[in-house]
Amino acid sequence: MATPASSPASLTGLRQHAERLADRLPPLLVAAERVAATVAQGVHGRRRVGVGETFWQFRPYSPGDSTARIDWRQSARTSQLFLRDQEWEAAESVWLWADGSASMAYTSAPSWPTKADRALLLLLALGSLLTRAGERIALLGRRRRPTGGRVGMAALCEDLLSRTTAEPSLAPVQPLPRFARMVLISDFFTPLEQLRDRLRGFVAMGVRGHLLQVLDPAEPELPFAGRVRFEGLEQDGIALIGNVDGVRQRYRGRLAAHRDGLRDLARSFGWTFAGHVCDQPPEPPLLALYTALSTKAQG
Amino acid sequence: MLDLGVLGLANPWLLMAFVSLPALWWLLRIIPPAPKQIRFPAIRFLLGLQPEEETTARTPLWLLIMRLVLASLVILALAGPVLNPEPELAGKGPLVLVVDDGWAAAPGWARRTDMLQRFADRAQRQNREVVLLGTAADPAKPKLQRLSAADAVRTVASWQPKPWPVDRAAALEQLKREPLNGAELIWLCDGVAGDRPARDAAVRFADQLRQLGPLRIYADPIEQRAVLLLPPDPSREPLVVSARRPSPGGAQSLILRAVGPTGEILARQNLKFEAGAAHADVRIELPIELRNQIARFELEPSAGIGGVVLLDERWRQRLVGLVGEPAAQAAQPLLSELYYVEKALGPHAELRRGTLPELLAAGVPAIVLTDSAQIGPEARTQLASWVEAGGVLLRFAGPRLANADDELVPVKLRRGDRSLGGALSWARPLPLASFDDGGPLAGLAVPKNDVVVQRQVLAQPGPELAGHSWARLADGTPLITGAQRGKGWLVLIHTTANTAWSSLPLSGAFVDILRRVAALAQGAGGTPRGLLAPLEVLDAQGHLVAPGPASEPVPAAELATTIASARHPAGLYGRVGAAPDAARRVLNLASAVPDLQALQPADLPVQAQPFAGASTEINLMPWLLLAALLLALADTVIGLQLRGLLIRPARAAAGLIAVLAILPLLPGDRPAWAADHDEAVLSAITETRLAYVVTGIAEVDSLSQAGLEGLTLILNRRTAVEAGDPIAVDLAVDDLNLFPLLYWPIPSDHPDLRPGVRDRLDAYLRQGGMILFDTGDAATMIPDQSGPGPGERRLRELLTGLNLPPLEPVPEDHPLTRSFYLLQDFPGRWAGGTVWVDHAEAGVNDGVSSVIIGGNGWAGAWATDEYGMAMYPVVPGGERQRELARRFGVNLVMYALTGNYKTDQVHIPALLERLGQ
Repeated sequence: MATPASSPASLTGLRQHAERLADRLPPLLVAAERVAATVAQGVHGRRRVGVGETFWQFRPYSPGDSTARIDWRQSARTSQLFLRDQEWEAAESVWLWADGSASMAYTSAPSWPTKADRALLLLLALGSLLTRAGERIALLGRRRRPTGGRVGMAALCEDLLSRTTAEPSLAPVQPLPRFARMVLISDFFTPLEQLRDRLRGFVAMGVRGHLLQVLDPAEPELPFAGRVRFEGLEQDGIALIGNVDGVRQRYRGRLAAHRDGLRDLARSFGWTFAGHVCDQPPEPPLLALYTALSTKAQG
Repeated sequence: MLDLGVLGLANPWLLMAFVSLPALWWLLRIIPPAPKQIRFPAIRFLLGLQPEEETTARTPLWLLIMRLVLASLVILALAGPVLNPEPELAGKGPLVLVVDDGWAAAPGWARRTDMLQRFADRAQRQNREVVLLGTAADPAKPKLQRLSAADAVRTVASWQPKPWPVDRAAALEQLKREPLNGAELIWLCDGVAGDRPARDAAVRFADQLRQLGPLRIYADPIEQRAVLLLPPDPSREPLVVSARRPSPGGAQSLILRAVGPTGEILARQNLKFEAGAAHADVRIELPIELRNQIARFELEPSAGIGGVVLLDERWRQRLVGLVGEPAAQAAQPLLSELYYVEKALGPHAELRRGTLPELLAAGVPAIVLTDSAQIGPEARTQLASWVEAGGVLLRFAGPRLANADDELVPVKLRRGDRSLGGALSWARPLPLASFDDGGPLAGLAVPKNDVVVQRQVLAQPGPELAGHSWARLADGTPLITGAQRGKGWLVLIHTTANTAWSSLPLSGAFVDILRRVAALAQGAGGTPRGLLAPLEVLDAQGHLVAPGPASEPVPAAELATTIASARHPAGLYGRVGAAPDAARRVLNLASAVPDLQALQPADLPVQAQPFAGASTEINLMPWLLLAALLLALADTVIGLQLRGLLIRPARAAAGLIAVLAILPLLPGDRPAWAADHDEAVLSAITETRLAYVVTGIAEVDSLSQAGLEGLTLILNRRTAVEAGDPIAVDLAVDDLNLFPLLYWPIPSDHPDLRPGVRDRLDAYLRQGGMILFDTGDAATMIPDQSGPGPGERRLRELLTGLNLPPLEPVPEDHPLTRSFYLLQDFPGRWAGGTVWVDHAEAGVNDGVSSVIIGGNGWAGAWATDEYGMAMYPVVPGGERQRELARRFGVNLVMYALTGNYKTDQVHIPALLERLGQ
């Protein structure tokens, strides 16, 4: 199967699909966990008083408030002094990354997409949601400044188009601003140690991330039987299994252990981890990302 | 061929291939089934995993054994195994099959064919030439055939026995002319001979055969050999059928059937050979009417042509009526006129006496009328018409006839009689001189000088007299005249029936004459003359078939002495082209077999063997190959299974069960959308759908469909209702409970409701359904016209018997006026019709109306085409009216979906008023 990143037409289609998908969800509000001076002001309200341009509320003047903030027009109507509060507006930079390595270009049945397609779809949908909510996005590993709005989406697509099929299966290292957010979508079949080493670099930069593992249904199930010669997609070996039925349980155990390892890894960094299987609809993982991004706001 | 007793092998050297089995064993063991190739991303987790069971890496032992069995089966099959093999033929030269294929072979012909087939098969296996020789001469084909074994197999299969005796001497001549070096001879003997010379010929034949090469003789046991049925003596009464068997033996019982012309069985009687007797008789006693219908005698079970005897007219016994008292009761019987007639006809015909009217009433075919019998004028007329209808009247002359004017005679008579040789006469009594060739008496032997006629009546000479004369005296005067009258015959013997005028009644010719005359009766057509051709001949199995090309006609006179042969096969002979009921003569096989003799074992130089049954040889090769093929199929399936290429049995079984479970659900005679009921229900309830009632009138239904589609479009565009495509509903079939609202157009020609629909409607309305009846009456009514329109009248008829609450015009504060839009009137395609709703009581259905009736033709106003353009203009017109119609639709759907939700709106004026305070 052709790697979707190499085909502009399919990418455009994916983007449309992603936009449609995003239409069904309310605009995603990414909570800023911490306010940092380096974070640029955003354009959307945080539903509480803060630094922003949008009117939020009038409140009576109380001692200690800056007189400069008195809204004289409002105060002139009544006998009381009123302050004008602006809504707290903040924007966050979110770095997105979807695994484009050869092992992602796999599907066990024509009725569902390849893992790579699904990962890209989720990536674009998330990007669309984020830009709509005013967040700024960028593709990890392209050294482009995060941008918001349609321009951000277009830049994201452009970067995706420029990807080649021989992508590494680990998220590329890149200097990131502190407290940036990161979403990594992959099958995460890399050994846990390598992944830990790679992520540790990001964590050191103060990045909060979310891991989404996308799997084909055949991968957790191993629905094969008899004598099978398995061959990896990235020249990562050949396994001749005399009787697949005999190894299925142990295989599942290994996969589950890997998953648990991923989950523990994410937890140890304060990140989140979620799984997704390609024969399921794409909305739940998007929602999972949504909850992963928004619950942090409350914490 | 290797013969192992029960089992024989055609190619035993192929068994050498068994040596290769160990090698095959080794090969099969080290070659595991090829693995399936699968590309799999999560390979990392599979690396290093090995199943506990290592079995599939090598061929399992049982599979190995199965494959070896398979290979062994193939090797065995190729070796050509044969169960119960036939013994080998002796000699190197041709195989000579001499077959007695005459009549006597017919009963056991199947046994002979089986034997022939076996020998031909063996000859074919050994690739020997075959000489076929049938001993019964068949002019249609060569007697001796020298064939290849394959041709012989085919020829043997179609060989049929012949319905005539064998001629072994001629066969021997043919055989002697053939070069037969190293031949093996087989003689399938019928075991009988026609007479002593024939038997001697058979013995010579066997001796000669033996000199030509090794000889085997096959014959049936003596008691099973052919039986010959002999034709009964026609002159004896009752009929006695005899049968002859070739050799006296133990008691043997057969069944004889008398069969009618169309195959009906007239009698069945036992025919029993006493122990030690070669001859058996059976008397056939039947009423004369049945007896005369007998066309053939045959043995049961069928014994071939030997067991068949055909009968013709000669065996028919005639019913002859005699007018007058029985002669025996007369005072002087020898002087009685009927005495001699009775004596002459008695053995050949059944005689019935009585007065003329009695006889006529009894339907007697022939009547003898003597001179003394008196006939009244009335009886004379009856008699004349009876003759015309086919009766045969034989009259005798006498003094009365000589002196009377009698018209019931074949020729005109002179008054008076002629006296010859009386005391006062010079003339001497004249003898009977000849029978005329043209008459029915032709061919009878002329008695020599024992018939003299002293007195006779004379016929008036005339041109037609010669044609009517059947017998003449020495001076040429007719003694017997006859003429055909209508279908019947009128015959006059010009002398008396007793010895008063002549000695004719005392002669043997009298018997023949009377029989011939009696035989004229009942359409028998008399004795055929001229050349008789075979019309139907008997085949060897005793069935009548069309004659073959080699059969030849026989002169009628010679038929009695003809011997059945290939030229003259036994069967029915008659004039070609004669009427179907014309007389036929039969030629029976018995003519060719004067004396049936069995060939005794002592006569033959070689002990005769009984016929073995059909070959029990079974070629095992196809069966072994079939078994090998089945094993190979099983092996393929197992191989696929081991390699995991097969669908897992559990899944396959589940699929099969699913298919079986679905089968009964396949659509029957139901509306299209109801075909799959679950599917339909699901599609109806997963989305809100507007529904309309199918009226059966195509244009009304299509308008409803278009209208509801338009309304659905409006709803989706303007309201929170996200309706799916409209559904057509058949009230009698579909589940109405799925639909919150039914649109039901009522044209004036709406068809009657089907039985049960009213109950369904009632239940639907009671459970909270809502129906909008659209009569469309506003189109046909003048504004402000009172009284119901045609649609409304139809609606009343349709809804008779439905339990409806009272109706009222839509009140001003009805939720329909405010469920979405604020409306006060409800135009559709037409405006101005009153809209009625039922007055819902508060406790029923939450106070929601369930019936809305109007005549504004809303569907027409809602209807849009595929581009969303309105299909019909509204009357009186204006987009405002269409908009109001659409708003009514929206309100209606909202009302149906929300029920009394907006009923609260009625309190708004009061609330506002309070707020204002």
